[in-house]
Amino acid sequence: MTVASSARTDSATAADAAVAGPSRRPSRRTSRRVEAVGAWTLCAPYVVLLLIAGIVPIGYAFATALQTPPTPLNPAVGFGGLKSFETVVTDFRFLRTFGNIASVLVIWLPIMMIGIVGLALLVHASPGRFGNVMRFVYYLPGALAGVANFVLWVYLLNPSSSPIRAFWSALGLTDIKSVVVSGNNLSFILAAMLFFQGVGTWIVIVNGGLNGIDEAVLEAAEIDGAGPWRVAWDVKLPIIRPWIGYAALMNLAYGFQLFLEPQLLDQVASNALPDQYSPSQLGYAFAFSNYNFPAAAAMSLILLAITLGIGLIIVFKSGLFSEETH
Amino acid sequence: MAVALPETTAAPETPLRTSAGRRPMSINRLARIVTMLLVAAAFVFPIIGFVAMSFRNADEVAAGQGGFLGLGGVSWENVRYSWSQVDGFGPGNGGLFVQWMTNSLVISIGGALIAVVAAIPAGYAMARLRFRGRRVLLFVTLLAMVMPNTVLVIPLFLEVAAIGAVGQLWPVIVIMGFFPFGCYLAYIHFMTTMPPELVEAARIDGLNEISIFTKVAIPISKQAVALVAFFSFVANWTNFFLPLALLSSNQNNKTVSIGLQELIGASPLFNPTVAAGLNVKLYMPQLALATFLSMLPLLIVFLGAQRFLMRGQTVGAVKG
Repeated sequence: MTVASSARTDSATAADAAVAGPSRRPSRRTSRRVEAVGAWTLCAPYVVLLLIAGIVPIGYAFATALQTPPTPLNPAVGFGGLKSFETVVTDFRFLRTFGNIASVLVIWLPIMMIGIVGLALLVHASPGRFGNVMRFVYYLPGALAGVANFVLWVYLLNPSSSPIRAFWSALGLTDIKSVVVSGNNLSFILAAMLFFQGVGTWIVIVNGGLNGIDEAVLEAAEIDGAGPWRVAWDVKLPIIRPWIGYAALMNLAYGFQLFLEPQLLDQVASNALPDQYSPSQLGYAFAFSNYNFPAAAAMSLILLAITLGIGLIIVFKSGLFSEETH
Repeated sequence: MAVALPETTAAPETPLRTSAGRRPMSINRLARIVTMLLVAAAFVFPIIGFVAMSFRNADEVAAGQGGFLGLGGVSWENVRYSWSQVDGFGPGNGGLFVQWMTNSLVISIGGALIAVVAAIPAGYAMARLRFRGRRVLLFVTLLAMVMPNTVLVIPLFLEVAAIGAVGQLWPVIVIMGFFPFGCYLAYIHFMTTMPPELVEAARIDGLNEISIFTKVAIPISKQAVALVAFFSFVANWTNFFLPLALLSSNQNNKTVSIGLQELIGASPLFNPTVAAGLNVKLYMPQLALATFLSMLPLLIVFLGAQRFLMRGQTVGAVKG
């Protein structure tokens, strides 16, 4: 007591030395342990939520997928091995749903990437108020997310209300059902919906990457005689390549979970579309139409594996999440 | 190169990007501005037309009247009529739409509160404390952040069904409280704004780890709290698949996103048989009004969070 109180009357540095000096080594070890205990206490609520909303449902889905579905004759569930995975993969709709997604991705991803990178470069080449206003305008549709974006598209796709009804009537389409159902329209419509909803946010993100480019690099390129096209192509593009890869992979993963748009388009087209257009819809149908929860769980796990694979590539390969950069 | 040379010799001392504004109208610059304006028009006109739709009359819409984007056909009378129809939807005297909006508010705000309370301390700990498992936790957070949240909806439904809580709001709130993107935002925030020396100094002053967080880290985390709350609220409000799976069984506990789906299904435009049994008429103006109203909370939150947004969107090139 007396030592401590007398030390406190001294200067602060002397007090520190007196406390830390003689017992330096053991105290560092205990402070490490105290630090770890503190860290886990602070992380506890987050870890609990991670378990509830991430780890436990995945584990439970595994357990469910290995069961046999109850039937009217045999309501008890038992161990079914990989049977439900077989049910899912051999379902006549399984490959078709991935084919449908592929047909959307083939149209959507290239347009999306050109749109994101092209518009981000254009915004970046327009300093001042004009560029800022344009960036904000491109961001606007992103505020209409989910169902709101969908209802907006119902307005555009329905020839009786659409501002582009001349376009629809030129194609000989008079009601929303024919617009959605005819020919290969659906893939293009879904691609347009996804583009409209998503491009703005990504422009802002890639633009953030462009803003990180050192001014001196761009100046040097200009002094070397590079025009705006060459600067964009040879200087800016290579520097923002990690962001481009990140955007491409995130959107690819996003494509596999398509649910809302095909589900609701079917509804406004008087059920004229396939009921299970996307893999997510198929999983939903297994759960809520067939009440085959093992199959639904298996379908979810297959989708999870695909998006997890894409996620791993993003985290490890994009170079945007390495701790050194921060 | 020969074309570019005169330009660069004309203004060699100014950098390319700032000199562009003062340069005479070149073909390049004209093409850039025209392209950007055309794209902007393609983005804005549908939105203007859509918002105008909620102020229009269904008969005029069907007849194709109303002028450019229907802006000639807007009136306050139409909105009042449309609202009477949207509000009238539901058993008895209606009121389901207001109920759905309330549910969405409860779920979105509750989820955002939990997200903030969980993500800020976890982000701080991962950024500034050393502990075994830190890298694994960070890695799992990143992975969960880049995965579409819908892939786990069916497993989450199975989990919630196992405890018999399907159709109740609280499991949805808890699940939405898990917001790995928010945790990553907090992590980046403390990495960039809180030097490790600050933590070290607080330790030497005798503060324990929890006190360092509450007394030193929290006061400088206003920005992170605002961003996590904003992104979480928006994600919760627009979430469709999770409420669809977990709340569809309870009409009074639906959110507005799945409620809108029900309004679409009750429209004579798309489902004449169902609509014939209803005493409300939900044509395009009514659906547009309901959608517009469902977007209002997002607009309000967006305006409130605007000054934090541009920075947050660009920090670490991230997406919610």
